[in-house]
Amino acid sequence: MSTKTPSRLEKILAAGHRAVTSECGPPRGSDPAVIEKKAALIRDHVDAVNVTDNQTSMTRMCSLAACIRLKQMGLEPILQMVTRDRNRIALQSDILGAAAFDICNVLCLSGDHQSFGDCAQGQNVHDLDSMQLLQTVRRMRDDGKFLGGDDIARPPQMFVGAAANPFADPFEIRVLRLAKKVSAGAEFIQTQCIYNLDKFEQWMTQARDRGLTERVSVLAGLTPMKSAGMARYMKNRVPGMDVPDEVVSRLADTPKEKQPEVGIDICVEAIERLKDVEGVAGFHIMAIEWEEKVAEIVERAGLYPRPEV
Amino acid sequence: MHATIQKPIDEIVSFIRPGEKVFVVGCNNCAWKCHSGGEEETAAMADRLKKRGVEVVGHTVPGPQGMSLCKLDHTRKVLQEDYGEQVAGADSFLVLGCGQGVHTVIDATDGGMVHPGCDTIFGGETVSESDIEEYCSLCGECVIEYTGGLCPMTLCSKQLLNGPCGGAERGMCEVDKERPCGWVLIYERLQKLGRLELLDPFQKPKNHAKWSRPRTLKVSPHEATFCSQAGKVTVSNRD
Repeated sequence: MSTKTPSRLEKILAAGHRAVTSECGPPRGSDPAVIEKKAALIRDHVDAVNVTDNQTSMTRMCSLAACIRLKQMGLEPILQMVTRDRNRIALQSDILGAAAFDICNVLCLSGDHQSFGDCAQGQNVHDLDSMQLLQTVRRMRDDGKFLGGDDIARPPQMFVGAAANPFADPFEIRVLRLAKKVSAGAEFIQTQCIYNLDKFEQWMTQARDRGLTERVSVLAGLTPMKSAGMARYMKNRVPGMDVPDEVVSRLADTPKEKQPEVGIDICVEAIERLKDVEGVAGFHIMAIEWEEKVAEIVERAGLYPRPEV
Repeated sequence: MHATIQKPIDEIVSFIRPGEKVFVVGCNNCAWKCHSGGEEETAAMADRLKKRGVEVVGHTVPGPQGMSLCKLDHTRKVLQEDYGEQVAGADSFLVLGCGQGVHTVIDATDGGMVHPGCDTIFGGETVSESDIEEYCSLCGECVIEYTGGLCPMTLCSKQLLNGPCGGAERGMCEVDKERPCGWVLIYERLQKLGRLELLDPFQKPKNHAKWSRPRTLKVSPHEATFCSQAGKVTVSNRD
């Protein structure tokens, strides 16, 4: 399978390997050492690293600057871009900025609503939606054109991704929406954290039935739970998250000091099961503020060493 | 209709300088329906201001019930002819109506000083005598043909045009668990109508220049011209 960009992630997937990605959340400050420390923990165990864009609408160091730091360390960043904070001029401009540093992966998102963050009185933008941003990046890359129609000198070489939540309401619309994202130009998909494996498999079956897994690489999203408290929080407080009761009770029935270990077990078991699901092209391990566990998860799940491409 | 809600009385009083003579103007259409500036509320406001030591030189709600304050020719006639003396003696006008009404009073008084007595909050449907709900954002480019008449610019917290985000749970919006997700409403409605295929086409980026402000509309019996930063668009209402 030929590749269209210099992206290592694209090459890994094209070669038929299971991809492994993880994420680094930039700090709420300007110290680059924070992002570098996180990156150092995961660098040998993943193919590419997502850098979140003001996640949960809390103001942070910008994703692009943190991506540049990772790039300078020799890692492969995935620039997350939300449409919440920037209009179409700023989005296109930041894509060019990223391309100027040869950042060659982008994940197009709408973003958490600002009411969850530290600027609840702020104005959201949503000049484009995530689907329109996908199409914009593809047009910039494939046609070398800005949205306004002008030519781009040295078009960005970006491998373009989107998110999908197989668990949000209404379930019936989730695969339709995936199909629309694929049509708009998504080449890889990173899913919401999967705890309800049965429902995820149902969604994958629908995606396969529509031929979508042949057109897009689906990376299954996983977040290890540190504690029963975190599981309850994810279940009750995080929008669009589906955490079955048995996951919560398995952690709650474990002595507190053993809960992190069981959380990792649950994550590794999920990867093992999902490896057999046709169409799952890899894993996106989001160990939130727990980056030191990514290596262990990747190794225990038999995904180490990472292939050279 | 333009939904309005009265500003707190202390805020209104703070607008008025010592010795300032105030004339209170209400609106007998939208603000009447909102109980923010109909006849009763306008008379009550005059009394409430007097009680707080403000010199009120007069008050009126131009026109019969159902007539809007923002109909400039009528408001001008009422203020300048029927209330000419009080209006001439007023230093300022407290307007109990929407922002359009406030500007109408500026025009009707040839540039008089105005105070807003209300916050203009949205354009809404009068669902019942006690309920006004927002279904349109006045964006200038209607996209509701493919959503069964339900506006995603208004009903979706993120104004998404190509379907829901990943945050809805049990049909409710992630931003407010008491409020249905706009896209769930759209999906359920189209499903009921057997028209889910309307959701398939990709919706292009919106022409936001059509809700650049300020906008104007020039109308004649057979033709209208809408003017915004998107340019001038003239449409005839005849073949």
